[in-house]
This record gives sequence, C-alpha cells and structure tokens, in this order.
Amino acid sequence: MKLSGNYTVPIGRELAYHLMQDPAVLARAMPGCNHLALVAPDEYEMRMKMVISSIQGLFAGKVRIADRNPPASFRLIVEGSGKVGFMKGDGLLTFATLYTSTDIHYEGEVQVGGMIAGVGQRLLDTTSRYLIKKFFEKLTAEATAQMPQAAD
Amino acid sequence: MIPQNFEYSAPSTLQDALALLADGSAKVLAGGMSLIPLMKLRLAAPEHVVDMGRVPGLDGIHQASDGIHIGAMATHYQIESSPVLRAHCPLLAETASHIGDVQVRNMGTIGGSVAHCDPAADYPAALFALEAQVRLASASGERTLSFAGFLVDTFTTALEPGEIVTEVIVPAESSGAGVSYQKLHQPASGFAMVGAAVRIARANGGIGFVRVGITGLASKAYRATNVETILQSTGNVEKAAAVVADGIEANSDLNASAHYRSQMARVYTARALKIALARAS
Repeated sequence: MKLSGNYTVPIGRELAYHLMQDPAVLARAMPGCNHLALVAPDEYEMRMKMVISSIQGLFAGKVRIADRNPPASFRLIVEGSGKVGFMKGDGLLTFATLYTSTDIHYEGEVQVGGMIAGVGQRLLDTTSRYLIKKFFEKLTAEATAQMPQAAD
Repeated sequence: MIPQNFEYSAPSTLQDALALLADGSAKVLAGGMSLIPLMKLRLAAPEHVVDMGRVPGLDGIHQASDGIHIGAMATHYQIESSPVLRAHCPLLAETASHIGDVQVRNMGTIGGSVAHCDPAADYPAALFALEAQVRLASASGERTLSFAGFLVDTFTTALEPGEIVTEVIVPAESSGAGVSYQKLHQPASGFAMVGAAVRIARANGGIGFVRVGITGLASKAYRATNVETILQSTGNVEKAAAVVADGIEANSDLNASAHYRSQMARVYTARALKIALARAS
C-alpha cells in the first residue's frame, strides 16, 4: 500500500526537522508507543500498543533513520510485528518552508501482513491515515510546547 | 477460531452495568456483530465483557416532544420495521433495511454500530442528515451530544472509558418531506463503499430544506453542506451532487480506489437527491 500526504506544522523547518529526530519526542508522538530506545546509531527499538476501537495489538519493532539531509529530508524505516500481524514501512519525509510554518510531505510504502491484513484490508487505508494524522497533531503539540517563549 | 479467555458479566440493570464498566477496563457487548468476529480472530482480546443483552428497557423506540428516542439496544430489524420510525423518521428505517444481511439486522444494534464507529457503516449517513443526538451514560452521570460531536474519526467516538450509548434521538420528519438512502454495497459484507442519505422538503415551488449525509467515502461520515447549499440555491441535482467529494480525502482499499469512490459518491448522491425530491410533496 502506498501512502502519501502532507501536514503543516506551525514551526520553522530546522525545528521541525530536529524534533522529528528526537527519540523522546517521537516516542510521545507515535500513537500507542510506550518504549523507544536507541540501540545503534540512527536505530531505535520500539514497542507500541495500538488500540483502535475494539482492535488492539502489541507490536515490537525497530525504527531507523537513513539518508539524512538536514533540514530538507530524511528517510524513516519502521518495522514491527505482533500477534495480530506485522508491518513494514519505508517513507521519505521532506520539509519545505511555508511562510513561518513547515510543510512536511511524506511519501512511502507500507506492507502489512498477517491476520490484521487478512481481515482488516478494508480498514488499513483509513486507519493508517488516521494514525499519521494523530502523529502530526501530537508533534504539533510538542512543537508548540517547545517553542521559545515569546514571539507573538 | 476460539477467542481468548475472558470474564463475562450479564448485568440485569443499567446501574449494575455502569458499575461494572466504571473502571473503564471492560468491553461492552451489544449485538456482537462486530466485537464477536474480532474476538474470534483474536484481533480483540478484552479481559472482561459486559453483555447488555439482559438489561431491560434499552431497546424501546418512542416518540417524545423533542424527537424519537431509540434505545441503544434496538436492533436494525426493529428500526427498519418500527411503525413509529416508518411513519415519522422513514430515513432511518430505510437506512437500517440496507445494513448487512438478515442475521446481522436481527442481532446488530444501533448503539453498538455507532459506538463501534466503522467508517463504512450505514447509520452515520442518516444520522448526519437527521442531525441526530446521542445520549451517553456512565456511573458518574449522563450527557447528550450531537452526532457530529460524538463521531470523532475512524473507529473513534467521544465515548469516555466506562461510558455507553443509551439512546439515539432523531427528529420527527415534517409531513411532505422526501427522504432516501442510496448505497453502493460491498457484495460480500454489505458494507457501504459509499452511502448517501438525503432529506428534502419543498417550499414555494423550490427547495425549502435539504440535508445530506455521506458515509463510506472518507475516514469518517460527514454532512455535505456544500451539496445542500448548491441544491437549495440552484435546484440542480447534478450540479449539487458534483461537489460531494470536494475537499474530502477519499478512502482507497481493495474494494475501490479513491478516484472510483469519489465518482460513486457523486453518482449515489445524485440518485438519493432525485429519489428524495420525487418523494417530497
């Protein structure tokens, strides 16, 4: 499944880029993430508990950051598996300045397998987009909280 | 498959049910048409299931001054065949008759459907067109939300942990209004790939009132106010239906691409508008 879209966060490009590389921020922004630890340069181990309506799943996996080109782009590779299935995602994030905000564009491919893909295919698209939206909403909240106190 | 072990409670009063649910850890079982398959596939593994099936008084349908109150445990069949709804809220009865298959309609409930909040469910289209309200209860009290406020996003509602849906309240239709629910159904599951619910009342040779609710197209159902505005000002069904997917991020899955879904939304909205207009007097 291909996924692409964009989201505008009300912060500058450098800060947006920097925030998305900060494991503590990523851990708080990723829906259901309850553990994210650096295990190698640019490689994190993660655990998440996803709850969407009645469906819940525990996933364990890895997050990798590659092809860094600050503050314009980087590649995010996520792999996770759990009892209900597995997922693998590989996406390129590009950051473009838009006045005082930053437009983050994502484009990538997600593979989902196992039970969750077998019965949930109809729902993968909506739920992935919903989770991505939640991620960016939380990132925006994080960004606003970290913004230098002043500037109005 | 066999579900994981879970604790099962079947309270016989609403107070007992709300007390059991109060700590937010138990899962509510209504008709079980979504929860049970998910549990059997082990995609859902609640530790405690509270069955609402033995709580009396939750499946009534009655008319009051503020609208028609439908108990959360009313089945789709009860809604489709209710004389009160058929006479005073035909849109909801018609919508219920399109849900799933006979077995699902006999077991599935309106409360379960709206709480589960599947983006391809049928009711949300009608409930947006009807500007319905949803009554919620928990151990700490009751509250009423507009359906638009209740539905947050795909599979996500305003229900707090420990809170349940007790009633859906819909307005009684004015006489002479025309309604229609048209859907493109997925042949195997019966889910709406797109569904359009319309209510129209004529006035002075033109359109006095129109409401359009759309389901299945996007991650959540919505009221298509842009369609309503164009129909009301121009009276042109095709022009109005043409904008139904404007600004909407359409779903794409193995059943239908986003492009096809958007096109079908226009086709089915036009159909629903035409039929509702023909029925309005």
